[in-house]
Amino acid sequence: MNGVAAIEARGLTKDFSFGLRGVNIRAVDQLSLRIEVGQIFGLLGPNGSGKSTTIKMALGLLESTQGSCRIFGVPSCEVRARCQVGYLPESPHFHRFLSGRELVAFYGRLCGLRGEELRRRVDEVIAGVGLEAAAGRRVGTYSRGMLQRIGVAQAIVHDPRLVILDEPMAGIDPVGVAEITALIQQLKARGKTIVLVAHELTQVEALCDRIAILDRGRLVVERDLGAEFTALEVSQLSAEHVAELQAWLEARGGVLTTRRVVRSRLEEFFSPRIPATRETPSP
Amino acid sequence: MTAVPFSLRRVWLIACVTALEAARQRVFHLVLVLAMGLVLGAHAFREFNFGASELKFMADFGFGALTVFGSVLTIVATAQLFFGELEHRTALTLLAKPVWRAEFILGKIGGVMAVVTVFCALVTLLLLGTLYFRQQTLLAEHPELSESARALDPMAIIAVGVAHWLKFGVLAALTLLIASFARTSLYAVIVGFVMLLICHLHPLARLASARTDSWLLRGVAGMVSLIFPDFQLFDLSASIDSVGAAGAASLIRLVAYAGLYFSVLGSLAVYSFNRREL
Ligand SMILES: Nc1ncnc2c1ncn2[C@@H]1O[C@H](COP(=O)(O)OP(=O)(O)OP(=O)(O)O)[C@@H](O)[C@H]1O
Ligand SMILES: [Mg+2]
Repeated sequence: MNGVAAIEARGLTKDFSFGLRGVNIRAVDQLSLRIEVGQIFGLLGPNGSGKSTTIKMALGLLESTQGSCRIFGVPSCEVRARCQVGYLPESPHFHRFLSGRELVAFYGRLCGLRGEELRRRVDEVIAGVGLEAAAGRRVGTYSRGMLQRIGVAQAIVHDPRLVILDEPMAGIDPVGVAEITALIQQLKARGKTIVLVAHELTQVEALCDRIAILDRGRLVVERDLGAEFTALEVSQLSAEHVAELQAWLEARGGVLTTRRVVRSRLEEFFSPRIPATRETPSP
Repeated sequence: MTAVPFSLRRVWLIACVTALEAARQRVFHLVLVLAMGLVLGAHAFREFNFGASELKFMADFGFGALTVFGSVLTIVATAQLFFGELEHRTALTLLAKPVWRAEFILGKIGGVMAVVTVFCALVTLLLLGTLYFRQQTLLAEHPELSESARALDPMAIIAVGVAHWLKFGVLAALTLLIASFARTSLYAVIVGFVMLLICHLHPLARLASARTDSWLLRGVAGMVSLIFPDFQLFDLSASIDSVGAAGAASLIRLVAYAGLYFSVLGSLAVYSFNRREL
């Protein structure tokens, strides 16, 4: 693959040490990853596997113990690397005394927007996350799902080329999930790169072109979802139509390889690679 | 991607949000009410006056309240606003934008100083008003007192208020330096108060160094005088009777002195925060 990657990590490692005796936790271990421009990339893994830590290193919020990371070819530690990035942290908190609209405008201004363009973008993204009605209210009065939505809005207000969403669907109602899913698809259609951290495998399946699975800080799987999962929607057909479809496919040289429910496929694929224990080994 | 230059506009934006947050903190309201209450009630405490003219006593008392409550406000607000941003992880979202950490630190100091400015201005103006009112009452009651009663110069009162404000600026930078490496807000507050104490002990350090033969003690006293700003210098209340040319000159010297310490402490805070993991 040529060209500049949206994110390129090489041997990224992060040790946390804490306590008086300096106990070490290796949160991310020799992670090398390349996320191509225009992809929706799913970062999966059990709790504590190092997904958020990886993202924070990519954004220059944490310094890596070893290895390096670049965003569109610029080292993560440089401020200019963050010009083209939007980030939604997990369980986000915001300045409680600002209204939703003021908050998004504040982040927009920090990214250099002003005047008419700022107003237009703020309106656009607030509508995009379905928060028009609550935009005038103080963020301190927002529910968890609303915080998540305003978080997505601030992440994309400056129309960045790369959007990193750490569990954007957590705490969001089904309608909200559908809206945010649609928003992510729109972003992709406009050529943006999206990094999505999620635990809901169905959402990942529906959205991602490629996934990586981390376990205890190590990359255990990295693969495309496209080829294997393009037929997923077919599995929602009722049994009688499946036979019809099979005949239709065979008449055109296609093969219906599986009839199982798609939802369980990624889980089957995910679970055997993740041992039941959750201890993080010392490096 | 082109380089992102340091931007005063972003500093201003962060300072505005910080000031807004600070103005809503209960500690700010409480401290403001207490300080203003003491200024208004200074007259009632004149039992404790041992010889100074009544107006001079009221001014000293008011500035005492400004020092004590202003220091508490500066230390607590700086630590709380800084750690609030880290603990609630709003700093994550903020610093994930193209924002320099120096802009963040300066924005925080700016926000704190906005609140401290309002505090100093309100307390000083209230004190000025109280003094004026008392002066008029005294003049009406005792025309023979007019000579000493007229001695209080409003410009001198404002100059003393400004000197306090400068001191709080240095104190905010010092507290932010501590907060930039501290793990908890409580630690930053406690160390901040210890530092405040040390900054007031310069005369003691000079005395110790003059009276002792021990090179160790002299060394320690010398270090204290060099590293820590001397907060006694900011006490201009001796010149409260009249500001004059000497008062103006000492205020200018203080601005330079405070500016120097503010820059050095602020730069160290930026240096330390640049290394901090979020
Ligand atoms: N600031 C920190 N100090 C010490 N240890 C940390 C810190 N941040 C993360 N860790 C540890 O690093 C490991 C990875 O954490 P991380 O938050 O990256 O996991 P995650 O994959 O995002 O998990 P989740 O799905 O629960 O969000 C965990 O063991 C965690 O305890
Ligand atoms: Mg996480």
